[in-house]
Amino acid sequence: MKRRVVVTGSGMITPLGRNCEETFTNASRGASGIDYITSFDTTGLPCRIGGEVKNEWLVGASDPAAARLDRFASRGFRLMATATREAALQAGIEDVSDRERVGVALGSHGENVPVSEMVALLRYYDGSRWDIRGLLKSRDYSPFQLFLRKPDTASSLLAMLFDCQGSNLSIVSACAAGAQAIGEACRIIQDDKADVMIAGGCEATLNFMGFIGFVLIKALTEKYVTPQTASRPFDRKRNGFVMSEGAGAVILEELAHARARGAVILGEILGYGSSADAYRITDTHPKAEGAFIAMTTALEDAALSPNDIEYVNAHGTSTLQNDLVESLAVKRVFGERAKSVPVSSNKSMLGHTIAAAGTIECVLTLMGMERSIILPTINHEFRDPKCDLDVVPNESRRVAHSRALSNSFGFGGQNACLCLGSFRE
Amino acid sequence: MMIAPQVVVTGAGSVSSIGATSSETWTALLGGQNGIRPVRGFDAGGFGRLFAAQVGDLTAENLGIHPRDARIMDLHSLMLMSAARQAYGAAGLADAGIAGDAIGFFAGMGMVDYEVDDILPAVLKSLGPAGVDYGRFYAGAYRDIHPLWPLSMLNNVTFCQVAIDLGIKGENAVFCPHADSGAVAITEAVGALCEERAEAVLTGGVSEKISPLSIARGLFAEILKRAPEEPGTVLGEGAAILCLENRASADRRGATYSVAVAGYGHCCAPRDDGTAPLPGAIAGAMSAALERASLQPKDIDVVIVHRDGTEQADKSEDEGLLSIFGDLRNLPVFSTKPAFGHLLAAAPAMDIVVATMMIERGIIPPIWSGKPAQQVRNVMVNCQSYEGQCATIIVQAVA
Repeated sequence: MKRRVVVTGSGMITPLGRNCEETFTNASRGASGIDYITSFDTTGLPCRIGGEVKNEWLVGASDPAAARLDRFASRGFRLMATATREAALQAGIEDVSDRERVGVALGSHGENVPVSEMVALLRYYDGSRWDIRGLLKSRDYSPFQLFLRKPDTASSLLAMLFDCQGSNLSIVSACAAGAQAIGEACRIIQDDKADVMIAGGCEATLNFMGFIGFVLIKALTEKYVTPQTASRPFDRKRNGFVMSEGAGAVILEELAHARARGAVILGEILGYGSSADAYRITDTHPKAEGAFIAMTTALEDAALSPNDIEYVNAHGTSTLQNDLVESLAVKRVFGERAKSVPVSSNKSMLGHTIAAAGTIECVLTLMGMERSIILPTINHEFRDPKCDLDVVPNESRRVAHSRALSNSFGFGGQNACLCLGSFRE
Repeated sequence: MMIAPQVVVTGAGSVSSIGATSSETWTALLGGQNGIRPVRGFDAGGFGRLFAAQVGDLTAENLGIHPRDARIMDLHSLMLMSAARQAYGAAGLADAGIAGDAIGFFAGMGMVDYEVDDILPAVLKSLGPAGVDYGRFYAGAYRDIHPLWPLSMLNNVTFCQVAIDLGIKGENAVFCPHADSGAVAITEAVGALCEERAEAVLTGGVSEKISPLSIARGLFAEILKRAPEEPGTVLGEGAAILCLENRASADRRGATYSVAVAGYGHCCAPRDDGTAPLPGAIAGAMSAALERASLQPKDIDVVIVHRDGTEQADKSEDEGLLSIFGDLRNLPVFSTKPAFGHLLAAAPAMDIVVATMMIERGIIPPIWSGKPAQQVRNVMVNCQSYEGQCATIIVQAVA
């Protein structure tokens, strides 16, 4: 008998809010968190919009524990620490006495290389030889830059901040990382390697080098009337995604452990599936092979059939390719029911938070179940006949539901799907 | 969860500084060779006199990789590709009749570092009278960066390229960047097999490429050995991949094997100075692995220690070993690092490749303890990160 994994805490910080409640409330009224980028100069770039998080929302120097780790802390980690603090407080995990049974699974890619770092390095490189002594003696270059780039810095800092001495993993599967972190954390609890796991993802790519990477591969939207209407998943006029930053955290816990300490149960991770497209590094599989495998595997893992699913939280990036392929995957999984199952994309309001997206969307899905609200896909104006699903257009829908899938598909072809449920005995 | 259906190793592949394959590496180990030489591939004179164990003669052309795909592949990609192909071939997966979506893939990836030369043209184009003019860079010079360069910087792209090459579509995850990430990959692979979410899984890891940035990272962290008499680690390049299967299904298809993954454990507790795990965490990982394998410390024939040469990491591990094994004087202890340096995410799988050879051949190569012709049944492999993560995996001879 598999150990059941429940959610006892959740937290997030997104362009739509400083916590879960604020984000969900704004999303349920169809608000957009997208605007012109202010964190760096976007003059000359074909895309100048993004979903920024307000600096004053971050865990700051007022938190002595976080301040202690400040010099190692990337913006991604600060976002993650903020989201995790909300989740940890809600779950009350400081009461768990055996800290070796508390672990961390984090989707995180480390900080991007700032242009200033490249310029500083260039002063000590003549095209063939490095003047490392000069670099080391100079104050031009902070050695901490190298640590900020390491993906595992955030997961180990999180372990220090929340005293988690169990399994600690850092997952780097691009846009699937946040969902994979939850899936792998789930496996660790099911495998009896931990009783409690902090799982989540963080992303802070709204800086020049992070941004131009996606400009160069032409993944970002370049045609938009206003920032707020730029992210339009499944709409015929979609033309690329909107980059955002944020973090999401969940406290996953083995059911009996949660009950024994009287924790409030917010929902259950019923199943998890992952897959690889194994197709092309720059394209998703045209027949949605990888997405289909991930979704059906998650259903099998949950011992449910497609008929049991009442809602799909789509990856829904607003790129031509993703939305087409994801629509196909939904049709392959649900067959005749495909057009009647609500399928909505939180990215229409939040933009794409890359490694954080899977966790944020998992939490929003669980909150929607608890409140009987399905969040909308906003900016749905022009129906795409190839994406002919019930995308919950423009307005949230009040409907009781208790079983859902949440999709996350990563660059390179890594896919993840979580099967989520409201808690039943 | 006990590892009820024994998970066996049905194939392995590796690339290291002393061998392009697992058998070459083993032969070199038996011959007492090591791959540690002065750093090459770039002018490292500015770093002082430094050594590393670097892989040679591995090119996309040699591996038959199409130039289109090679555009976004660096040495770490080639190492992982070579090791994975070897493991896939050794296990006979091509003819096993196992569907792509029933083959899983879990790997630890070292850091993926940029080459300054990749972005140099854009920076040079931005130079104004007072140095770099950010306006010029932002306004268009950035377009001199190759459009696929950002893709090659994603930590999971190499992993996906291998999945594409071998048609692997099943359960997967990629972890980063130290030795513990390679160990997590292996234990997650075991979990996928035990719960029958896959019929076969490739798992292991790849190190980072030795580059100015990897060296700089090591120097700033004060972990690199700078003189023979000083403590410190020597970075190595390499990759190792295992093919794991449930014993029953391996038997059904007539696959051969000699070892099983018997147990594993993970802990995380950093020292206050952030240089190594605490001894208690290392002992906790070993203890959990022994319990899962239903073994006592006295059952362990060899410990392949992490022992990367840094003062605090070695001290922590020694104290952890002492608390588990008591008297260490009669404990055969082996380390692969004197031969091929610290392979980071590739280290656990590489150590399991070596452990498999020890069990099959009954020989402990002459690096440390140097005890030939001893019966080896249970080998413990330890690994850890500087941030406090640590893991232990036990492999066991199977009849």
